[in-house]
Amino acid sequence: MTLLFDLALVAWLIALAGHIAMTREDRNAIVAFIAFGLLLGLAWVRLSALDVALTEVAIGGGVTGVLLLSAEAHLRKPLAQDSAQDRPHDGRRRLGNVGTIAAALASAAVTAGLALAVLALPTPAPTLAPVAAAALDTTGLGNPVTAVLLAYRALDTLLEKVVLLLALVGVWSLAPDRTWGGAPSLAPAVAPEPLVYLARVLPPIGVVIAVYMFWVGADAPGGTFQAGTVLAAMWLIVMLAGLRQPPDTAHRVLRLLLVGGPALFLAVGFLGFFIADGFLSYPEPIAKPLILGIEAALTLSIAATLAMLVAGPAQKAPEP
Amino acid sequence: MADVFTAAALAILAATAFGLFRVLRSRIAVERMMAVQLLGTGGVAALLLLGAASGVAATSDAALLLMLFAAFSCAAFTRGEEDTPDEDPQPTKEKT
Repeated sequence: MTLLFDLALVAWLIALAGHIAMTREDRNAIVAFIAFGLLLGLAWVRLSALDVALTEVAIGGGVTGVLLLSAEAHLRKPLAQDSAQDRPHDGRRRLGNVGTIAAALASAAVTAGLALAVLALPTPAPTLAPVAAAALDTTGLGNPVTAVLLAYRALDTLLEKVVLLLALVGVWSLAPDRTWGGAPSLAPAVAPEPLVYLARVLPPIGVVIAVYMFWVGADAPGGTFQAGTVLAAMWLIVMLAGLRQPPDTAHRVLRLLLVGGPALFLAVGFLGFFIADGFLSYPEPIAKPLILGIEAALTLSIAATLAMLVAGPAQKAPEP
Repeated sequence: MADVFTAAALAILAATAFGLFRVLRSRIAVERMMAVQLLGTGGVAALLLLGAASGVAATSDAALLLMLFAAFSCAAFTRGEEDTPDEDPQPTKEKT
């Protein structure tokens, strides 16, 4: 029965992917892509990768959707102004055929390559899972994925958070000089009434879910990234409904929040030279409190970074 | 019992799939967004049933997030929607 379910799920995923690729209008494709992200979460659950499932639902189904829809709305504005000339459409169509074929070939090549790589794996696939599970006691954690992210391979996680900050610097630097340090603008002039209602009802539930995700991450699937994404989504919905304005990008509290998580992570990393075996290693008795502290600060940083990434570059002049 | 749960999840998945493709091809933008809500509902039901079938408690956490982000994507859809009213109402005006 489970095999039948998996086959149906795969068939559905492929059909939905085909629909996204064939849809002509960008906005429809993005909506279908959000649905695809949520469905992919179901597939990861079937693969017993619950941590990945949670991230996929939060990022693929949630934050990426709002990012893509914003980008599409932004692109459409200049197109509508030039529509008398119709030039962008022509150019797009000419590029369309060649571009589509090239993209299809490249995608097919990547898929075939991945399939070959998976099929070429030796039958007991090489794994470090037993080693990771055996060393779990030294970290005081119960979830091996969190142990990998914050203890065994902490350096990767640290660099990943720095990359997020770099991405935000990239987005912010798109602001023209006169709005530098100002606030991004998110809410429409008149927010629809149902959205305002949703923005009042959903965040209290969402914040509780985020705290739960953060706390449960130590012992079960969940963790900083999922919790941070949920918090970011809740902040975004409040800003989208115009209940609270986005802060100035030069605001000191915001900047401290953004840098706080990675800075604390780095500081604890260097502390490892004095109180443990070296960079980013924790002394065994206090490993879990240290990891939880880093996770708490990282959750807030990730939430602020993702929300500001989606909010985009500053569009209003800074308040003096 | 696990087989019964999985079969129920499969039935919900199939029903949601047919509904989804019907709604995704709708000509009204807001209806297409309802496809995501449909998937939110169907997906949560399928996940809860799968969790009961496999006995993995954390599956319900995934269902929780799926519910939350399906609702959130509704808000996401208002992004850029304020520019479109001149696209959709016009054909309806011509009809009436």
